[in-house]
Amino acid sequence: VNAGLASRTVSRTRSPIFSGDFNRPSAVGTVANTATANRTVYSSVYSMFRDNEPDTLFQKVVVLVKAHDRAVLDSYEFFATMAAKELGITMGKVFEPPKDIERLTLLKSVHIYKKHRVQYEMRTHYRCIELLHVTGCTAQVYLEYIQRNLPEGVAMEVTKTAVEKIPDHILEPMWKDQPIDDKPSK
Amino acid sequence: MASFGRKVFLSLGRTNVSGVGIRKTGNGATYATALTVNSSSTNKDLPERGGRGFVGRRPKRDPGEPRTEKMALDQDWTSVYPAATPFRSNAVPLPVRMGYPVKRGIPPEKKGNLELIKIPNFLHLTPAAIKKHCEALKPFCTEWPSALDTDAKCDQHFPVKIESTDYVSAGPSVRNPSARIVRVEVKLSSLNLDDHARKKMLKLVGDRYCKDSDILTIKTESCPLRQQNYEYAMYLLTVLYHESWKIEPWEAEKTRADMEEYSWEDSTSQKNILDTLLRINAAGEGEGEEAEVRKQLLGREEVQEYKDSVERLKNEEASESNMLRYKEAVRKVLKV
Repeated sequence: VNAGLASRTVSRTRSPIFSGDFNRPSAVGTVANTATANRTVYSSVYSMFRDNEPDTLFQKVVVLVKAHDRAVLDSYEFFATMAAKELGITMGKVFEPPKDIERLTLLKSVHIYKKHRVQYEMRTHYRCIELLHVTGCTAQVYLEYIQRNLPEGVAMEVTKTAVEKIPDHILEPMWKDQPIDDKPSK
Repeated sequence: MASFGRKVFLSLGRTNVSGVGIRKTGNGATYATALTVNSSSTNKDLPERGGRGFVGRRPKRDPGEPRTEKMALDQDWTSVYPAATPFRSNAVPLPVRMGYPVKRGIPPEKKGNLELIKIPNFLHLTPAAIKKHCEALKPFCTEWPSALDTDAKCDQHFPVKIESTDYVSAGPSVRNPSARIVRVEVKLSSLNLDDHARKKMLKLVGDRYCKDSDILTIKTESCPLRQQNYEYAMYLLTVLYHESWKIEPWEAEKTRADMEEYSWEDSTSQKNILDTLLRINAAGEGEGEEAEVRKQLLGREEVQEYKDSVERLKNEEASESNMLRYKEAVRKVLKV
């Protein structure tokens, strides 16, 4: 299944985690032991940190899933919560916001017969999963896994709250070393 | 076990009507499965029509026994359904039934059942499969720094919060224009502001500041891309910060009406109370040096209490306790 997952992600991939580096084991194919394969996998992770870019920190990641069937959402919730547990992500609340029903009344016939109508309704069920204290890498991995296995007819909204330090240019006011009547342009 | 159940089921009394597709269920109710595969007898009739049916159609092979009969109980299910595939009734060994039952009947069986094919199935995501996938994904995850376990510590070290939303849905386009909206939240107490700068910042910002939680929220959606909106929001924050430290010459003309909070010193309330007390005292004894007498009166405890109660009434909402406090203070000052 490991090889199957790797081959599947090569064909339609966008994220930097899976891009390109899975090709290396096939190039090294003649020496194909699992040791070299693992080494190429790990080197792809380290290449990201080689640029010394610090990982983003997400205080909260809220995943809201919308579907027309409640049973589909139940199964998806089981899958998402289990995946989060296996990957070691702390879960916040998992709850079900109340469903929305949009109803419309239309004329039943093409011409006249105003008294005879037909009514349709569209039901949207929701499920909300909150994840707390996730790093950027973990969030990317988890969300990509979740989104690739999103069933047909289900939509998702992901709200990420990233935390950052105060930028350097807001620590001290720039007028401190200059007299006030100067008014230099920034 | 599933195959044993099926054999019992078949032996319960199945009428041998071929070619029409009527099955008798265990309870004795009959229903027509219009969606079943044609039995081999009807197939041979079609080429005889000549021209009207499917010309040159080869007779279909016998489907044979379904794969479920040959499945072992301890097989690796992740290799049967490795990816998301529609439901195949001859590959799933479960006796599933789905659909609306006829009167005094049961839901239709899984063979040729369109309802089971339509609904998304999670057969490729069994717990065993999820564990395997997560084992493969584990090397790419990083750990949350252990020093930031509480929210308070996060706020202390990383006070700026940036919120953005991603949307995933099926449709003619992958893009969603609402994905460009960025919200930046900062607590003003974490910024380096002095008194004047803080008041000026609040005036500049207006509605975007929440007094109860001391959070300034900047929501940007004017640029077409999220990166642009984020940079614009940080630019706004920088400009607000530096402008609020600037002291313009016209700020010296700040009147009482521009003040954010009510201050009792040099207000009409102070003048009134001192005038009243002076008149009360002057009725009793005549004294010189009004300024000294005023200062003396100010120093008195009742006057201080009166000042407190008036300030509370003006700055906070007029509640029952505040009004009672004002009443008591007035009583004490006027010695009523």
